[in-house]
Amino acid sequence: MNDTSALQRATPAIALAGVNLSLGRGAARVHILKDIDLNIGRGEAVGMVGPSGSGKSTLLMVMAGLERPDSGSVVVADQALGGLDEDALARFRGRNVGIVFQSFHLIPTMTALENVAVPLELIGAPDAQERATRELAAVGLSERRHHYPAQLSGGEQQRVALARALVPNPAILIADEPTGNLDETTGAEIIELMFKGHVERQTTLVLVTHDTGLAARCDRVVRLRSGRIEPSTTRAAVPA
Amino acid sequence: MNTATLSSSLPLRLALRELRAGLGGFYVFIACIALGVLAIAAVGSLSASLENGLAREGRTILGGDLSFLLSHREVSAPERAFLEQQGQVSVAATMRAMARTNDERTALVELKAVDAAYPLFGAVALQPALALSAALARTGNVFGAAADPALLARLDLAPGARVTIGDATFELRATLQSEPDKLGGGLGFGPRLLVSQEALRATGLLQPGSLVRWHYRIRLPDNDASEAAVRRITAAAEERLPEAGWEIRSRSNASPGLERNVERFTQYLTLVGLTALLVGGVGVANAIKGHLDRKRDVIATLKSLGATGRGVFRIYLTQTLLLASIGALPGLVIGAALPFLINWIFGAIIPLPLAPALYPGNLALAFAYGLMTALAFALWPLGRAHDVSVSALFRDEVEPERQRPRLSYILSTVLVAAALAALAIMLAYDRRIAAIFVAAAAGVFITLRLVAGLIMLIARRAPRSRSTILRLAIANIHRPGALTVSVVLSLGLGLALLVTVIEIDGNLRRQFLAALPEKAPAFFFLDIQATDAERFDAFVRARAPGAVLERVPMLRGRIVSIKGVAAEDIKAPPSAAWVLQSDRGITYTDQVAAGSRVAVGDWWGPDYQGPPLVSLEQKVAEGLGLKIGDSIVVNVLGRNLTARVANLRTLDWQSLGINFVMVFSPNTFRGAPVSHIATITYPDGSTTENEIALLKAAAVAFPSVTAVRVRDALEAFGGIVTNLVMGIRGASALTLVMAVLVLGGALAAGHRHRVYDAVVLRAVGATRRQLLLAYGLEYLLISFAAALFGVAAGTLAAALVVIEVMNLPFIWLPGLAATAALAAIAATVVLGLAGTFTVLGQKPAPVLRAL
Repeated sequence: MNDTSALQRATPAIALAGVNLSLGRGAARVHILKDIDLNIGRGEAVGMVGPSGSGKSTLLMVMAGLERPDSGSVVVADQALGGLDEDALARFRGRNVGIVFQSFHLIPTMTALENVAVPLELIGAPDAQERATRELAAVGLSERRHHYPAQLSGGEQQRVALARALVPNPAILIADEPTGNLDETTGAEIIELMFKGHVERQTTLVLVTHDTGLAARCDRVVRLRSGRIEPSTTRAAVPA
Repeated sequence: MNTATLSSSLPLRLALRELRAGLGGFYVFIACIALGVLAIAAVGSLSASLENGLAREGRTILGGDLSFLLSHREVSAPERAFLEQQGQVSVAATMRAMARTNDERTALVELKAVDAAYPLFGAVALQPALALSAALARTGNVFGAAADPALLARLDLAPGARVTIGDATFELRATLQSEPDKLGGGLGFGPRLLVSQEALRATGLLQPGSLVRWHYRIRLPDNDASEAAVRRITAAAEERLPEAGWEIRSRSNASPGLERNVERFTQYLTLVGLTALLVGGVGVANAIKGHLDRKRDVIATLKSLGATGRGVFRIYLTQTLLLASIGALPGLVIGAALPFLINWIFGAIIPLPLAPALYPGNLALAFAYGLMTALAFALWPLGRAHDVSVSALFRDEVEPERQRPRLSYILSTVLVAAALAALAIMLAYDRRIAAIFVAAAAGVFITLRLVAGLIMLIARRAPRSRSTILRLAIANIHRPGALTVSVVLSLGLGLALLVTVIEIDGNLRRQFLAALPEKAPAFFFLDIQATDAERFDAFVRARAPGAVLERVPMLRGRIVSIKGVAAEDIKAPPSAAWVLQSDRGITYTDQVAAGSRVAVGDWWGPDYQGPPLVSLEQKVAEGLGLKIGDSIVVNVLGRNLTARVANLRTLDWQSLGINFVMVFSPNTFRGAPVSHIATITYPDGSTTENEIALLKAAAVAFPSVTAVRVRDALEAFGGIVTNLVMGIRGASALTLVMAVLVLGGALAAGHRHRVYDAVVLRAVGATRRQLLLAYGLEYLLISFAAALFGVAAGTLAAALVVIEVMNLPFIWLPGLAATAALAAIAATVVLGLAGTFTVLGQKPAPVLRAL
C-alpha cells in the first residue's frame, strides 16, 4: 500500500469505540458484543472471521446502522450513527453503505435491473436506470437484466446483489458470507468482482467469512471470539 | 430530497412491481371490498333511479301539475274559480266505504270517484279494455265501476257482478289493471273501486263530517307549465285563499311519503351494507397482515438499501389502495348496472317508476366507503411494517413481534374510522338512528375483539388436558396466528346484525299479528253520522253485549302554523315532522281519553268555555318545540282556528285504541258538522265468526258506516312489512356471506401452519381421525363462542331498538336466533374441516424433507 492510502487510513472510515450490545430479553438475554474498539481505514479491506455466534454478523449490523449498541460510539464515514433516528439511518445507509447478504435477498417481484436501481430510486437519483444498467454490465449480466431472480442462478443472483450494493458508490461495502450459498467456482467469481469494485472505487470493504483463504486476501483480518476481538489478530495479516 | 421523491411516484412504482407476483393472497381482500361496495353502490343506484323515476313521473303520480287536497269538504265557488283560472281541473274524491253483495258479504273498499277529465296524465288500464267513461257510466239505476281484482277475489265475484255501496248499486264492469296516480295516494286498507262522481253522490255517503278527501288536480296550459308557473300558482293560492286549508302539492313533490320511505329504506340498507364492509374489513386486515408477514424479507431488504420506515409504509399503503380499488371496481360496475338490469327484466311488472342512469355521486360514495374501510383496517398492520427489523436478514431468529404500531399509525386508524363513521352519519336520512347504529356497530366490534382476546387467554390458561386431541384444539385457539380473532369478529358481527334484524322483525310480527294485545279493539268504525250515533251505540250493545264501545267525534285538520311560523318552514325531527306532513285526525272531549295520561299541565274542566285549548302528545310537542301556552293554528273544514297548548299527554299507541295527537276543548268545534269514529273491543276475546257476523249486521243497519277489521288491516300492513324486511334480511345475510369469506381467507392463511402440524403429528403417530377431531373441536369451540356473543349482542341491540325506539315490549325469540347461530357454527365447522381434509391428504415425506 502506498503513502496516500496510509494517510487516508489516518481518518478511519469506520470507528467503533467501547461498543457493547446485548440481545434478547430476560433470561434469554445474551451479551453479544463486548467492549469492541475497532478502526477501519478508508479504502481498507478487512476480513472478519470467528466461530459461529462470535458476533461477526452483529458487528456488521452495528457498522451498517442496522443495530444500535447499548453503549459505545459508532462513527461511519465521518457520521456518528448514535445521533441519527431510524429514518436518518436508512437514508445514511442508502448513500454510504452497500450490503451483500449470504442469501442474496433480491426482491422476487423485480427484474435484475429494477433490483439494482432500487437504492438509487430511493435516494431520488434521476439517472437510476442508466446507472443500474452500467452496473449490471460491470458484473457481466447485461443480457439477463430483464430476468426475475427466480430465473437466475445463485451466482447470477449474487452478482445482481453485488451490483445493487455498489451502484450508489458507497463509502463502505459490507458483505456477510457472500459466497456461503455458492459453489467454489461461482464464489471465486463473486470475490473477484467484489475486490475489483473495492479497488476501483476505493471503497472500504468489510467481509465476514469462514473461508480463511478469502480472509487472507484482505488487508487485515479481525478475529472475533465470544463477542471480543482477539488482540493478536487486529494487526495487518497480509504482508504488503 | 429523498423524502420528497418517495412521496411522488416511487411508492406507486414499487407497489406495482410487487403486484407482479399476482393477486394471490388477496382474493379474500378483493372479494370483501367488492361485495361491500357492490351492496352500497347497488342500493345507492337503485334508490337514485327510483327517486329520479318518481320525479320524472311526478305529473302522472300526482295526477296533475298541481294538486289541491281538501278533507271533508268540496271547494267553495271562489276557490273553484281560482283553480279554473289556472288550467284544466280534474276532481277526484276518495274515501273508505263498505261494499256489500246481495247475500250480505262485505268488504272494505277504497272508493275513488272521478270526473270526466280524469286522468289528466297517464291512462287507466281496464280489463276488458273498455273506455273509462263506458266502464263507469250509469245504466238505469245501476252505476258502472272498475274494481281492483283483489275485490273480486275477496268477495268471490265474477266480472259483471253487482255490489251495493251506501244507497247505490254498482256493476263491476271491468277490473282495474293500473291506475296512473296510484303511488300518490299512499297505502290503502282495502282494494280500489273506481266510480263516477255522480255515483258517489248517489251512495248518500257524502254527509257533513264524512271522511272524504277531495283532490283537485290542475293541468297547466302546455305553453306555461314551467316550475316558475307552479311556484307562482302555489304562492297565489296561499295569498288569495289563506283560509282554504288545502294541502298543495306540486309534481316535483308528488309522493313525499313514498320518497321518504325510499330514503329511509335506502339508509337502512346502506347501514347494513356498511356492516357487511365492516365484517369484510376483518378479511382486509388479515390479508394485509399475512401479506406483510410474507414480505418481511423484502421490507427488510428495502430498508437495508436505504428505504425509511415511512417509505416502506407508503409503498404498502399504495399497494393496499390499489388492491381496494381493484376490489371496488367490479362492485361499482355491477352496482351501477343493477338498475338497468332490474328495469330490463322486471320493468313491466314492478309498480314503481325506475329511471336507470349512471349516478356518479352514489358510485363515488360507495367507492369512498370501500376505500376508507380498507384503510381503516389496513393502517394498523401497515404501520407495523414501519418497524420491521433488518436484522432478520442476518440472523436466523424470530423477533418478538411488536404488538402495536407507532402512535401516528394508531391515530391514523382512529381518524379514518371516525371519518367513516362521520360520513355514514352525515349522509343518513335520520342521523340519530345512524349514529346509534354506528355506535352499536363499533361497540359490538370492540366487545367482540375483547371477547376474542379473552377466549385466547382462557385457552392459554386452561389446565393441560390429558386428551391430546383436546390439548391440540385448545393450543390452536391461542397460538400466534390462530383463527380465533378472525372468526369471533367476522362471524360474531355478522350474526349480531342478522339476529338484530330477525329479532326486531319477529317482535314486530308477534306484536301486531300473532299476539294482538288483549285490549286491542277488534273493529274501527268510521263515518258514523252524529244523528246515527245513539242508534249505533244501541246496535252494538244489542249485538255485542260483552264488548266495550268507545266512540268519539273526529275531524281532519291540518296544522297551518306553530307559534307564528308556517308549517312548511318548520324543521322538525322525523319523530315529529310526520304530524306536519298532511292532515291529521283530531277530536274534542271534556275528559282525558282512555289510554292516555296528562304528563305536563292541567286538563280543562268539563264546563270550560274560554278560548280554544288543545292537548298534544308529549313527544310530538317536544319535537315541534311546543310548550304549555304556545299557540298553534289548525285548519279544519276550511277555517283557520287558533288554540293554545293547555297540556301534554303520553299515549299508549300500542293499545291500538283511538289515539289523537291533537285533542281540543269541546267548545272549539261547537256546532260543526262532525262524524264519529268508534272502536269495539272484546275484553274476553272473540271468534272470527262473531266478528264477521257483527260486520255483516252493521253493514246492513248502517250502510254508510265503514268498518275496518283490525286483524285484516294489520295483515295488509304485515304484508308490506314482510316485503321490506325481506330486503333488509337479504342484505343482512350478506354480512354472513362476508363472514364466511373472511373465515375462508383466515383458513387459507393458516394452511401452511396446519400442513406442518398435521404432517409432524402424523409422523409421530396421530391418526387422521384424531386430527380431524382436534380440528373439528377447535372450529366448534371458536365458532360457538363467536355465535354466543353474536347472538347476545344482536339480542341486546334488538331489545334496545324495540324498547327504546319503538316503545314496545321485547320478548326474546330464541328459535330464530338459535337457527341463525347453529347455521353459522355449522358453516364454520364444515368450511374449516373441508380445508383440513386437503391437509390430511398431504403425503408427509415431501413436506418433512422441505422442513
